Amino acid sequence: MSTNEPTGAPLAPNQDPKAQEKPRKTRKIKTTKDVNGVPQEIEIEVEDVDGPRWGERKDLKVLNTELRRVDGPVKVTGRARYTHDVRLPGMVYARLLCCPYPSAEVTIDVQDALKLPGVEAAIVLETKTRFLGQPIAVVAGRTSDHADDALRALKVTYKPLPWAVDRAQALAEGAPNVRKNGNKGKPGQNGDRAEAEAAIAAAPAKLEATYSVPVQHHASLETHGVVIDYRGGEEATVYISTQWTFAAVGQVAELLGLKANQVTAIVEHMGGGFGSKFDLGSEGAVACRVAKELKKPVHLMLRRPDEFVMAGNRSGNRVTYKAGMNADGTLAGLVANAEKFGGLGDGSMARPPYVYSAGKTYSEVVAVYTNTDSNRAMRAPGHPQASFGMEAVLDELAYQLGLDLLEVRKANLKDKVWHRQLERVAKEIGWFEHPHRTKPGPNSGGKELGIGFGISTWGGGGSGGTECDVQLAKDGSVTVSVGTQDLGTGSRTLVTAIVAEEFGLQLGDVVARIGNSRLPSATGSGGSTTTGSLSPAVKDAAWNARNAFAEHLAPILKTEAALVRFAGGKVFSQANPNAAMTWKQACATLRDAGLNAHGKWDKDRAAALMGNGVHGAQAAKVEVDTLTGRVRVLEMVGIQDCGLPINRTAVRSQLNGGMVQSLSYALFEERVIDPVLGLALNANFEDYKLAGPSEIPKMTSIIDDDDQRSATIGMAEPAIVPGHSAIANAVHNACGARVRDLPLTPDKVLAALGRIA
Amino acid sequence: MKSFTLFNPKSLGDAVGALAAPTSSVKVLAGGQDLLTEMKEHLVEPDKLVNLKGVPGLDRIEFTAAGACTIGALVTVGALEEHAGVRERLRVLAEAAGSVGSPQIRSVGTVGGNLCQRPRCWYYRSEHAKCLKKGGDECFSFSGQNKYNAILGGGPSYIVHPSDLAPALVALGATVTLKCSTGERQVALERFFTLPGEGDIRRETVLRDDEVLTHVHVPAPAAGMQSTYVKFRERGSYDFALASVALALWRDGARVKEARVVLGGVAPIPWRAKAAEAALAGAAFEAATFARAADGAVQGAEGFGQNDYKIPLTKGLVQRALQSCG
Amino acid sequence: MRVLHLLINGDRVTVAAPEHWTLLEVLRYELGLTGSKQGCDKGDCGACTVLVDGKPVLACLTLAALCEERAVTTIEGLLPAHVKSGGSGPDPVQAAFDECGALQCGFCQPGMMLSARALLDRNACPTRTEIQDALAGNLCRCTGYTQIVEAVELAVAKHCGVAPRRPGSARPRGRSRPPPRRA
Repeated sequence: MSTNEPTGAPLAPNQDPKAQEKPRKTRKIKTTKDVNGVPQEIEIEVEDVDGPRWGERKDLKVLNTELRRVDGPVKVTGRARYTHDVRLPGMVYARLLCCPYPSAEVTIDVQDALKLPGVEAAIVLETKTRFLGQPIAVVAGRTSDHADDALRALKVTYKPLPWAVDRAQALAEGAPNVRKNGNKGKPGQNGDRAEAEAAIAAAPAKLEATYSVPVQHHASLETHGVVIDYRGGEEATVYISTQWTFAAVGQVAELLGLKANQVTAIVEHMGGGFGSKFDLGSEGAVACRVAKELKKPVHLMLRRPDEFVMAGNRSGNRVTYKAGMNADGTLAGLVANAEKFGGLGDGSMARPPYVYSAGKTYSEVVAVYTNTDSNRAMRAPGHPQASFGMEAVLDELAYQLGLDLLEVRKANLKDKVWHRQLERVAKEIGWFEHPHRTKPGPNSGGKELGIGFGISTWGGGGSGGTECDVQLAKDGSVTVSVGTQDLGTGSRTLVTAIVAEEFGLQLGDVVARIGNSRLPSATGSGGSTTTGSLSPAVKDAAWNARNAFAEHLAPILKTEAALVRFAGGKVFSQANPNAAMTWKQACATLRDAGLNAHGKWDKDRAAALMGNGVHGAQAAKVEVDTLTGRVRVLEMVGIQDCGLPINRTAVRSQLNGGMVQSLSYALFEERVIDPVLGLALNANFEDYKLAGPSEIPKMTSIIDDDDQRSATIGMAEPAIVPGHSAIANAVHNACGARVRDLPLTPDKVLAALGRIA
Repeated sequence: MKSFTLFNPKSLGDAVGALAAPTSSVKVLAGGQDLLTEMKEHLVEPDKLVNLKGVPGLDRIEFTAAGACTIGALVTVGALEEHAGVRERLRVLAEAAGSVGSPQIRSVGTVGGNLCQRPRCWYYRSEHAKCLKKGGDECFSFSGQNKYNAILGGGPSYIVHPSDLAPALVALGATVTLKCSTGERQVALERFFTLPGEGDIRRETVLRDDEVLTHVHVPAPAAGMQSTYVKFRERGSYDFALASVALALWRDGARVKEARVVLGGVAPIPWRAKAAEAALAGAAFEAATFARAADGAVQGAEGFGQNDYKIPLTKGLVQRALQSCG
Repeated sequence: MRVLHLLINGDRVTVAAPEHWTLLEVLRYELGLTGSKQGCDKGDCGACTVLVDGKPVLACLTLAALCEERAVTTIEGLLPAHVKSGGSGPDPVQAAFDECGALQCGFCQPGMMLSARALLDRNACPTRTEIQDALAGNLCRCTGYTQIVEAVELAVAKHCGVAPRRPGSARPRGRSRPPPRRA
């Protein structure tokens, strides 16, 4: 997965069900049916399908319901094993030493450390660094404690080199070169600047303002890390907290001098990734190096402070918008000059005007490099950054013209799905009764209520590379096997549900085997592509298994395969539903080895099962204490379409989680580095503040059931896209305090209210 | 964490005995919720910890018939928060206790530990920043990232005192008992804390290395006290105060008889806002008085950039605290 | 090294560990009880929350040597304790978390559930605000807490016999005490 995220135009969602569904074909089958004990020749119409389909929603028994997670029991009892929890005989614990400075020459004497009891390795990794937090040494000890002792015993001398850790330093005259070609990337330009400027100049309302968002951290509760089980010899196993089971296999093999078929990757459970955990990582490579040297299993999990500086981030950005609005609320023109701050990486930014139509548009997007770790993909890369300024521009211009904030959005959204969604969230949150729909509330010295909106989009379709096995055993047990990983989003439950649905079984009748590179291949979980990649492959395997089982059962049921039905734990002929076998009885007719079917994500067959392009709208209601600058989010409402939901509980959890992450981004989150000392000041959960349980407002997460596409689509990313924009707009709406720089901390709110002398 | 030996005295005498020949490598352990984080971050690396948990008699809250209260240093913040007498008679203290850290911290963290905790300033907490508090020669916050630093009483160090209990207890006129192997002394809590410009810049209190804070004494409040603790947290779930106000108020009908206003989170010590108290004494209990008290509370306050907002914030909190007593 | 006599989930356990080891280190590295998670190791995330004598504490900021003679409950002990006290299957908090989908990656849940258990042991019918306050020291990055709070409400509802709150509807009635004042 590239860290340089696509920054092109937003994906154009297509929600017309006709565009996705092929016309239904049927054919007639002649068969016999018992009527009052007398067999009679009849003709039955059956669907003539050339591949698997999800079928009518009303007929679904498992999919599109509120399912319990299949991993619920192991997780609530503490039995779920994460990489951090792996314990192997003879295993050593490794710790990294990360450079506290953004750039330095480093001398490390490891001799004292190596003399300590229990210390097994102390290796210098780097002598000249180019980002804050770069690993410079690794130590390993028989216990975690021995490793800590070794770390403290390293004699390190740092000779700081000139650095640039923020925009001012990077763009200053004489700044050190962060990358070979300087501190700015090649700008991406779109549109005609002169045309856009002219359109803005002619518009009745104009605005020029700069909006910025800080660098955000993924902050997965489980840090990055691996356990490399290598004891010499020809086999190795890597346990890894990753978003792609298969990503590390080749890298580990190469580093250990093995072949890929000698390495197994295992991801039983993993503690969150949000885009930051795609490959082996430098920490994994170091662990391989130690394992190769010691020929012992090596456990290397990042410590929390290191996680904050070396394990990726969502790039910050700073965008200056010039915009003009017509009297009817449509944007006449837009010029956007954006800078992305992705450390050594290129950052990400969806192209302005994001989801909106903005008349004549020109945008210029450029990366500004600093001596900090490279940004990585983070949930909807580039979209929250683009959303923030655009949603604010709309509100600010609408206020100039005295227009309704909801109507202004509709005026600039071509796709009517968003109109419907906006109306829905507006109704839920009380917009139509709200007193400040066309101008902000007062800076009264009291507490004021405000409402704001935001819009999201995403792709969410899948791609090839996933295969799946479904096995039916003679005792009736069913196994679905695919090497995919469950980040917590619920892919284990998803694969189970699809197979259970196919055979008219319950979730508990099917066991999912995932998270192992010996299982059929699967793609990584990024960009909300898991559902679109995984579900067609699993459905294909289930459908193949079903067809094979039907063929097998047809003579037993004295019917044709096309008439064999699986429902309610029973198997019967459509012609003769009363003569049903139980699922167990049916399976007992299988040969000893049971039945095994394979399926895969095939372009043509998947096209009938998965979709691409989703819409979302969110609204937030806040209370601002205009005396103290305190912002409380009272309510958030989000609506999201996703085609056919597999597990409604999981979809709601994604929506809730995304909205609260955006609340946290709005109010708290920001990486802080002292530019002079070069030190990371808030690389911990005390000072890098995540929203906690007390921050949670009344949450209303709505699955958009007006979307009747018979296709599965991922929807995790868009849930995080617009919440912070809605909150910032709500603060402005409440009391006129426009904060153009996240997070919305009280210092900025008080400044915007003019209360700081 | 660096290894150490754990000494578990069974009496206070044994405990202070172990501190009698103090070296910086002996530390007193109470709840450990601050000390262990400092040790994990290598800010202090003691060779020996003197654990007070086994010392009898330090974990009680006792009220006299007249309403004076003695709180043992090992009383947990949670026990203080939930104590019926404290809730009823010393509301400001119960509210302050309820605002400390997280439920887990309150389960274990102690009253003594809360008063003796070290600063949260991120430069102080950063192993690689050798600031004034750690024997360096610069307070990096002054020209650095100072959003959380002091607007009152700062210089040459600009830390803020992180305790919530301290402002409440100062508002209540509390004293503390400090015991060493040769005796004990009583110190008014207000004088227990030291400004960086006054005492040893590496300390926040007058507590010596050979001493243990054993008890807090709260005199019986004069009749009719209204009190409250208003804390502004950036993150409501758990956080240190950006600013807080401990208020104790006595009214005589529509007028304020007397008030104590103590600020947290804005100065290196719990900050007695005497000008605010003067503005309130004898004045009508009304909005205009609240505004004058708010102005008084920040008399002499000075921001140096990112912490300027604490001035209007503190003023706002003083007004909110007074309003809540209406 | 020191020989510690601990009482973990009702079992008497003797373990040798360095004096400076935290309870979390002893649980995870000596006893194989890895359900208590090491999320930050500094008391900020709550993933290591266990009960000591019924109170929620941060195992990463608790010296194991100070836990002798005290009853420690970890996530692994909730189900057995419930069964031992006459219940069947998992603790009602665990059952409710499972039922409400109150987890995604699951890394924060052990600590979260123990905080919830500690709350319900002292206040069987808390309000929503009391639930949020009791969980305030536990961070979750995945779920947005909403279904977690709903899960605790479900456990409360089952215990107190009141209807659980549906998403977005009014809060259930329960015994209340004034929450700490917040600005």
